[in-house]
Amino acid sequence: MDTIHTDIELASVSKSYPLGRSRVPIFEDLTLHIPTGDFLAIMGPSGSGKSTILNLIGGIDQADAGTISIGGTALGRMGERALTRWRARNIGFVFQFYNLMPRLSAAENVELPLLLTPLSARERRERVLTILDIVGLSDRARHLPSELSGGQQQRIGIARAVASDPRILLCDEPTGDLDRKSANEILDLLQMLNRELGKTIVMVTHDDSATRVARRTLLLDKGRFVARQEMPACA
Amino acid sequence: MRLTPSMLLRQNLTRNLTRSVLMILCIGTAFFLFGLLSSFRAGFEGSEARADRLVVSSKVGGNETLPLAYLQDLKAMPGVAAVTHITRLRAYRSADPRDILGANAVDPESYARVYADTYRFTPALMQALADNRTGVLVGRSLAEREGWKTGDRISLTSFVHPNAQGMSWGFSVAGIFDGAEPTVDTNFLLLRSDYFNTALVRGKDQVNLFGILPAPGTDPDALIQRIDQRFANSSAQTRTQSETAYMGAFLEQFADISTIVQLVSAVAFATILLITANTMIFAIRERTREIGVLKVLGFAGPAVMGLVLAETLVLFLLGLALGLGATAAVLPLLGGALSSIVPELYLTPRAVASAVVIAAVLALLTAAGPALKALRLPVASALKQR
Ligand SMILES: Nc1ncnc2c1ncn2[C@@H]1O[C@H](COP(=O)(O)OP(=O)(O)O)[C@@H](O)[C@H]1O
Ligand SMILES: [Mg+2]
Repeated sequence: MDTIHTDIELASVSKSYPLGRSRVPIFEDLTLHIPTGDFLAIMGPSGSGKSTILNLIGGIDQADAGTISIGGTALGRMGERALTRWRARNIGFVFQFYNLMPRLSAAENVELPLLLTPLSARERRERVLTILDIVGLSDRARHLPSELSGGQQQRIGIARAVASDPRILLCDEPTGDLDRKSANEILDLLQMLNRELGKTIVMVTHDDSATRVARRTLLLDKGRFVARQEMPACA
Repeated sequence: MRLTPSMLLRQNLTRNLTRSVLMILCIGTAFFLFGLLSSFRAGFEGSEARADRLVVSSKVGGNETLPLAYLQDLKAMPGVAAVTHITRLRAYRSADPRDILGANAVDPESYARVYADTYRFTPALMQALADNRTGVLVGRSLAEREGWKTGDRISLTSFVHPNAQGMSWGFSVAGIFDGAEPTVDTNFLLLRSDYFNTALVRGKDQVNLFGILPAPGTDPDALIQRIDQRFANSSAQTRTQSETAYMGAFLEQFADISTIVQLVSAVAFATILLITANTMIFAIRERTREIGVLKVLGFAGPAVMGLVLAETLVLFLLGLALGLGATAAVLPLLGGALSSIVPELYLTPRAVASAVVIAAVLALLTAAGPALKALRLPVASALKQR
């Protein structure tokens, strides 16, 4: 394993959305450092900009001002194509509603990002089997997403996110649509990916249990980060 | 199973099978129409009329005859390379008056010379006819229509040309000839004028037309004048025209048909374009989120766009195959029924080629909007769509 750091650095980042003729700021001058190997949970009220932060880090949305750099590379300097290629190699996304391809089997969904790698079909299949084993769904390889439970679909979603072995996982409310038991399994799986495989994980969540697995928890409110401990007790 | 980009394509095509099938049927219908219409057009275009060959007929009207004796005068005329004569038998296959059949009594040798560029009279065919006084050479499409083979005995009825036995004429098929081009009308037969003339009980030595092949470099208008002047004081005055002018009415009809064909095809394709473009816009909009996910996974915009383009192209090519396949299946049936209007109906390579080009262009036009949209789709907002 290489030891190149993949620290995530948000420096004085501002983001706003147009509303009619004016712009509505979501946050201004936001600064955040996420070291390699961190497992950060971001909580906060709906609409506070949590998803926006993940999108900025993943390079699928652009900041109005400030710089976002990962492993020392400023995303804003990269062109569209370079950014897409960079994302394929370095970032895995996990979504609240899984976003699996409905007509591809579980294994094919996991294999999808591997089409962008130089791996041979055989190597891809081996990789898929390994990952399905890691997420505990080897016996569901041929199932369609519609034939899987929510928790199982999310595990396939995570398997797809880690298929091409990115260093960073960005999870947007990964347990938001799951029952308690499935949610816990997902959190355990993410914790394992962080502790044992060294993935840096940034997870947006409403789930208080997330604090159990995360190394740090930050609260985003009114465009500012506050440490969880500083939050009022009622939260 | 192995995941490939073409699998993604198949997945997209089959996700809404009804929609894909309807779209293919819709596109297929347009190409079916196009195939039919262009075959008709090719049929008319293929009319073997030529501007340089001349036709001499009676000035009085198409059904009047001219004396065979004119042949010698015409032959001797300067600027005439070859002359032949044609007498229409007005024969029926049966007593049914709708069952009329093209049968021309001709002098085989001069006929083959004048129309050498239009029909393929092989030496073997010429010999077979020379060897058999009651032999006939049957055009390929007539032979196919009637199911005649070389050696078959056939019987025709002519109400205008009786022989010693009455109105029935018996012939044997000496051979089957082809047109020089597939579009040439071969829906008629040729019998020997020497036999016909001697067998006739009345109306001997009369012909309907003389066909003239002018010598190279001859001014056709001057030759036309010369011929008509030569017979101006005869009992039977002539009317000489170029072959194309002789077929004038027919060709005028063709011009109209050509315009109609183009118009109908254009309307059909414009309609298809609107329908398919609309359908594709919906199909892609439905998939906005998935396209967003593909982009998040690292599939570049052009790759996603290519997927949309390929999908549309496949739909159009399947529609094209279906449409032209249906045309090819239907043409032989139609050809028989319409043989009196259009000589030969068949799908020309040119029609197929233009259909392929049209399909590709329509697919591009259809997919351009949705594909560009997929290319430019901002990922973050695509993921917000439910
Ligand atoms: N494409 C957009 N256009 C306009 N406003 C948007 C857009 N995306 C997000 N927003 C607004 O930005 C704010 C932050 O959104 P988001 O990051 O999704 O919040 P969260 O994930 O914390 O619920 C919200 O108020 C939302 O309405
Ligand atoms: Mg959100």
